[in-house]
Amino acid sequence: MFAYAIQRILYTLPVMLGVSVVCFALVHIAPGDPLISILPPDASSELQERLRILYGFDRSYVEQFFMWLARVLQGDLGTSIASGRSVTLEVSRAVGNTLMLAAVATVLGFTLGCLFGFVAGYFSNSPLDKLASAAAVFGVSVPHYWLGIVLVIVFSVGLGWFPSSGAGPGGSANWRFDYEHALYLVLPAITMAVIPMGIVARTVRALVADILAQEFVIGLRARGLGQFHVFLHVVKNAAPTALAVMGVQMGYLLGGSILIEVVFSWPGTGMLLNTAIFQRDLPLLQGTILVLATFFVVLNLLVDLLQTALDPRIKR
Amino acid sequence: MSYARYSRQRVSMAILAGTTAFVAPAAAVAEESVLRIGMTAGDIPLTHGQPDQGFEGNRFTGIPIYDALTQWDLSQEDEPSTLMPGLATSWEIDPEDDTRWIFELREGVTYHDGSEFTAEDVVWNVEKVLDEDAEHFDASQVGVTASRMPTLRSAEVIDDYTVALYTSEPDSFLPINLTNLFMASPDHWAEKYDETGDSDEAWSEFAADPSGSGPFRVTGFTARERLELQPNDAYWDDARTPTIDRVVMRPMPDANSRTAALLSGEVDWIEAPAPDAMAQMEGQGFVIYSNPQPHVWPWQFSFLDDSPWLDREVRHAANLCVDREELSVLLNGHMGIPQGTVGPDHPWWGDPDFEIRYDPDTARELMEEVGYSSDDPVEVRVQTSASGSGQMQPLVMNEYLQDALAECYFDVELDVIEWNTLFTNWREGADASSANDAHAINVTFATMDPFFAMVRFLSSDAHPPVSNNWGYFTDDEFDDLIAQARTTFDPDERDEALGQLHKRKVEEAPFLWVAHDAGPRAMSPSVGNVVQPQSWFIDIATMTME
Amino acid sequence: MAELIAAPQAPAQIAPPAEKSAGYWRSVWRRLRRDKVAMTAGTILVLIFLMSLFATFLAPSDPYARNVANRLAGIGTPGNPLGTDDLGRDMLSRLIWGGQLSLLMGVAPVFIAFFFGSALGIIAGYAGGLTNTLIMRTVDIFYAFPSVLLAVALSGALGAGLFNAMFSLTVVFIPPIARVSESVTTQLKSSDFIEAAKASGASALTILRVHVLGNVLGPIFVYSTSLIAVSMILAAGLSFLGLGVQPPFPEWGQMLNALRNAMYVQPLVTALPGVMIFLVSISFNLLSDGLRSAMEVRT
Repeated sequence: MFAYAIQRILYTLPVMLGVSVVCFALVHIAPGDPLISILPPDASSELQERLRILYGFDRSYVEQFFMWLARVLQGDLGTSIASGRSVTLEVSRAVGNTLMLAAVATVLGFTLGCLFGFVAGYFSNSPLDKLASAAAVFGVSVPHYWLGIVLVIVFSVGLGWFPSSGAGPGGSANWRFDYEHALYLVLPAITMAVIPMGIVARTVRALVADILAQEFVIGLRARGLGQFHVFLHVVKNAAPTALAVMGVQMGYLLGGSILIEVVFSWPGTGMLLNTAIFQRDLPLLQGTILVLATFFVVLNLLVDLLQTALDPRIKR
Repeated sequence: MSYARYSRQRVSMAILAGTTAFVAPAAAVAEESVLRIGMTAGDIPLTHGQPDQGFEGNRFTGIPIYDALTQWDLSQEDEPSTLMPGLATSWEIDPEDDTRWIFELREGVTYHDGSEFTAEDVVWNVEKVLDEDAEHFDASQVGVTASRMPTLRSAEVIDDYTVALYTSEPDSFLPINLTNLFMASPDHWAEKYDETGDSDEAWSEFAADPSGSGPFRVTGFTARERLELQPNDAYWDDARTPTIDRVVMRPMPDANSRTAALLSGEVDWIEAPAPDAMAQMEGQGFVIYSNPQPHVWPWQFSFLDDSPWLDREVRHAANLCVDREELSVLLNGHMGIPQGTVGPDHPWWGDPDFEIRYDPDTARELMEEVGYSSDDPVEVRVQTSASGSGQMQPLVMNEYLQDALAECYFDVELDVIEWNTLFTNWREGADASSANDAHAINVTFATMDPFFAMVRFLSSDAHPPVSNNWGYFTDDEFDDLIAQARTTFDPDERDEALGQLHKRKVEEAPFLWVAHDAGPRAMSPSVGNVVQPQSWFIDIATMTME
Repeated sequence: MAELIAAPQAPAQIAPPAEKSAGYWRSVWRRLRRDKVAMTAGTILVLIFLMSLFATFLAPSDPYARNVANRLAGIGTPGNPLGTDDLGRDMLSRLIWGGQLSLLMGVAPVFIAFFFGSALGIIAGYAGGLTNTLIMRTVDIFYAFPSVLLAVALSGALGAGLFNAMFSLTVVFIPPIARVSESVTTQLKSSDFIEAAKASGASALTILRVHVLGNVLGPIFVYSTSLIAVSMILAAGLSFLGLGVQPPFPEWGQMLNALRNAMYVQPLVTALPGVMIFLVSISFNLLSDGLRSAMEVRT
């Protein structure tokens, strides 16, 4: 186990190097001038050249990559072309907001998903199963960003129950964990939870059905042991996989929040990414993607290690 | 810089004292008036004095927080907004040197940090973008600034309240350009510099805690989310000293989110509401303000050899074939109907002999003269985008044009590309491969400044990649008219020269003039004293809040 | 959305490697035919595909014909049974035509990724050793990006457009398909019948062609059909961000996006493109479920 953990951790290093190459390359496959966002329509070619040198775009790709990597390793993701602020600062602030939203959505999605999945699996082929399975497949098939817009129209504009956008009345800098602020999380978190809910429900349903079909469980039942024992057995065996699925889902939510954050003007990494794309702010784009991919890799690593530790069936 | 620090401390002490003295006992907190604005920008425009995000930046983080030497009169709705004194009280060209301007400065103006505005500060603020050797030179401000004052080179103190500005060539447009050079407080910057020891970081700190001399001071800044302003009670112009206690600005690039935020009462004012959501807004009591802006929504024609627009008859026919009244219906009426780059009540109008109107019969006659007919239409290809700042509703409008022009023997093909790419292509010219064989390009522009409104499209010096003469329009007569206007320093005579240029421009019709943006914005009825001038800007300082 | 890719169909859930005969496929079909839900989903998909294919004949009017006077008409308007859009174009015709680009954008990337991904995975799995390491570690790098992020980042960097969006989606779907293929192939390689084939002196190519492809492609194909559901939503999401198909061409994601602001005027009409995306996505999910359970025979 320990050897596996070391091996698994070491393995993430080349992956991370590859990830950083991809992030760096992203900027350079982009057509057009990387300085377009700050170049005014009538900038002279002389001004363009001057800015190009100031931003280091006149050097070779290899040189730029290693300069960039060296700075990244020191925690410096460069400067946003559009805002002049440090990308590290921008991303770290945004990551906090996205993390909060993703965590709430994950808990919500996991709870509902487990509930639906368990009910569906336990009462396999009953009308209850049909209903829960339908909810699950709905979750993975609906364009969720569009669902978000509908929720806003119904619950913010129509009923006025929840705010439609932003992270609190005073912005995320003044965030507090109280009722007033929690209201701002409701609609984006529900929208975001729809997909993990569907996935967790489908996974759990399959797991539960599988476990119940095991000869061992059939044996338990035949021996007349109570429903409770069977239930415990199912939970114990389904938990590691379900938790692993949830961990991975959280990683996906972190990276995939862009559409939801745009719909709800949530000041997280998704908004940052959207702005970076449309302002052609390439250092910001690069930095945000790198940080999100790193989070994802680390989260996957943790999930993997945790699952190995928890699940007696996995021998590595 | 110890003085600056001292004085700032004193000021903040004073503010603190004032706050406790007046606000606390009166319990006026509950009565506080707050104006919350949803902007279209994806980020708060830069707050260090030279905003990005186009003119929306000047509107929200330039004019309210800072002053420039010259400024736009935003108090009139009925006539074009004109230039008026700002931090400069008067200006004139040096009679002996037509590249040297002399500006008399306003006395007794203080920045938000308490330091005083003098001629040295003008020099300092010119250096921040034009003198690479200056400690406070900031490359990131150069892009948005230098281009808006292309001929400005340097500044020089004459005395405490007189300053000289030098241009690279005689340029009568300079006073107009200077509305874009906002005066940031050098003392406040120096304080940031003392703290950080690095010029870039000092600017970054300055942006988070700015100090200008405008009617509002910044009291809260969360990057990409929220900017909070409070009145500068020491503002030099009593008429523009704000009565609203707090202004909050939020970037909301998605039109749908803006609409929802307004309708659910999270903001009091949104920029550019979607036309289709306006009925809902008005139904709930919100007020839509709009007024034609100095803005043109055009097709800019190519004058290359393969272009179908080489015949003036064809250019005139296109201009006569669009029923702009009907087009306006698509935009809920929030569109100005153009008669040229500027309208008849504008000083640069010049009374052209060609009238832009809807007259399809004449248009067809003109087309027939050149030899086109319904069986043999002229094929034109237009490059446009699906969105973009100032582009209004580009697809709806272009598809309408496609339809309308078909009546006059035009077979229009649209080449829809991404906004940033279109904008880049604009600088590369009609002969570049990026133009994709288009004969016209649809990029909208502001027309407050003669250089931006006309010169860069007409001058043979402005061919790509230098500037935006995308279609390579070349005519000695126009070059002469431009030189004439640039070297005429009496404002009225200059406007007359620009009138000549505009007259000839409309007559030669190197554009299809389609619309002026009306800059619609939706506001809650509790926002009072809203004056929507014929400008890209609006004065928040004079508004009231119930 | 593409969060769906990873977890649920871990390779272990793909049918275990066992030599499959023609009889096996016939029995899969027999079981599938009894699955009412999967058959309904399949029928809906066939109908939508046919509808898009024969749009020329089916669409009642020109999907580009504008009628400004009749813009945003409601459902049931004479001449426009499903209403009109913001330019007064017939919604029914645009929805029918829109299927072409939407399905192309949703389905083609998965098919292309199926081709490249399974080729990479089978080669890596069969060859093993250094080849496997090289291929799979490269795949891992792309797998290290959350899929939505990768798709948005790639099409954001490349710029908007149908081709760029399809390219980005293809890149997103290659790694998961390659991983599943590799894992199935590796399991298969050590199974008895491959050993037997090797012992009988069959060439590597023959083994690959006859034994590996026949047994591996089936499960991967089923896996891929579930990815199409993801791809449909992801493609529409790119269009929603303005990174997909550019107007005026009808495409459901783009139509949904363009009509967003008219939601207050004609909520039902503006929802129609979303309903189409949902219908296709859910049908692929259900069909994929049905296929999997039909193939999952415990012997």
